[in-house]
Amino acid sequence: MSPRRVAITGLGLVSPFGGDLADFFARLLAGESAIRLLHTNDLPRPLSMPFAGCPGFDAEAALGRPLAGMLDRFAQLGVAAAFAAWDDAGLPRTAQGDEREDWGVAWGTALGGTMAYEKGYRDLWQNGRERLSPLSLIHGLNNAANAQISIQLSLGGVSMSHTVACASSSIAIGEAFRRVRSGEAAVMLAGGSDTPQAYAVARAWEALRVLANADEASAPYCCRPFAADRSGLVLGEGGAALVLEDWEHAVARGAVIHGELAGYGTTCDHSHLVRPAAAGQVRALRAALADAGLGTADIDYINAHGTATPEGDPVEIEALRSVFGDRAERLAVSATKSLHGHLLGAAGALEAIITVLALREGAIPPTAHLEHLDPACAGVDHVATARHQQPLRAALASSFAFGGSNAVLAFRAVADQP
Amino acid sequence: MNSLTVIREFLDGRLGVPPEQVVPEATLAALGVDSLMMLELVFEFEDRFGIALAKDLKSPKTVGDMVALMERLRSEKS
Repeated sequence: MSPRRVAITGLGLVSPFGGDLADFFARLLAGESAIRLLHTNDLPRPLSMPFAGCPGFDAEAALGRPLAGMLDRFAQLGVAAAFAAWDDAGLPRTAQGDEREDWGVAWGTALGGTMAYEKGYRDLWQNGRERLSPLSLIHGLNNAANAQISIQLSLGGVSMSHTVACASSSIAIGEAFRRVRSGEAAVMLAGGSDTPQAYAVARAWEALRVLANADEASAPYCCRPFAADRSGLVLGEGGAALVLEDWEHAVARGAVIHGELAGYGTTCDHSHLVRPAAAGQVRALRAALADAGLGTADIDYINAHGTATPEGDPVEIEALRSVFGDRAERLAVSATKSLHGHLLGAAGALEAIITVLALREGAIPPTAHLEHLDPACAGVDHVATARHQQPLRAALASSFAFGGSNAVLAFRAVADQP
Repeated sequence: MNSLTVIREFLDGRLGVPPEQVVPEATLAALGVDSLMMLELVFEFEDRFGIALAKDLKSPKTVGDMVALMERLRSEKS
């Protein structure tokens, strides 16, 4: 089978901003932060941390009561995002015949059903229960989201989950992309979802000393990637999904094409679990460019991983400088986590959507709160305030995970088709 | 609380089935109870009434069958 071009025909999300795609992108361009201070009543010590949660997400409204009751929160967020992407693609939720027997799902989640298991531990050890609900295991499965998406949308091909920390959904999208490009599947739904709201998970992140410090007033402004005064990353929750479709299949059914997924590169630093290495990121960036048939001169925007940690930010910029050379100074880069937080296994998919929207709308959302650039992060064109009316041709979205896994996706604007 | 009320409350809370549809002659499958949900329902009964159902229990077909089974197990316990 000859390689095919891959159209992006559906975008869907459940984001900390609530609202739909247009609202989401408008808020990013306006530099509006979805980050707030989260307080809990947990024992032995209540949580108090900046967090980009989805408090307005109504799982029963989005999924119906029977389906919502079958899913842990991470999967509820994911299936709702998948439905939104599917609807956006103009595809009916029910198959008309057997045309979807080769279509599939690739889903990313870093944490999976940790809330379900935590509830089990609490029931057994704290609440005096002697046994657990029969749905405990069903809720906890890491493939719960993709399995339920396959069932709900009658997708008979591969249904796989990817757990690669913060690169989970970028890798899911990349692996789905390869299946469409090879002709194995005419349509793949790809994305990811996560929530870090299990108490032990949040406390585990806290113990790593990488979370931003904030109080009630400063929380919206506390995630400051590439800034000299950054204090760390901000956890978030949500779901994001893209419908990837064989270009000719999309054209034949009259689908709206938001953009083209043109390339994918993934590598491993193979050096350290949590300390990133520029060399591994360089190889991933170059692999994505080569896979897409794009040169460094073709890239007009990069949605950076940019988590706002002193370990990660400078290494990422070093890798960009290495790959883009003299052009790096004119390379528009932004880290939108400053506004929507770090959605972990959903981060790559959410940022892929932002990158597609940037290309489609010719507008770049900013790295917010970047008033004092860290000198170690200099050397690229940091987008500190939104840019409009930008003639963007192609863009990259990067995800660099604990464990050393790197994933870069390369997108091309519809208006810039060869 | 009687067994019919337990089934009605469960199906309302879990599936949104109106209680008036949960009548003795209604089949559980038609109300949306699959094999997994039957496990949930059995769990609910065991919890509420302190009874233990056999693992190889033959699944009741109708609401009436389930009510009869639960009432029998409750009376055996007492």
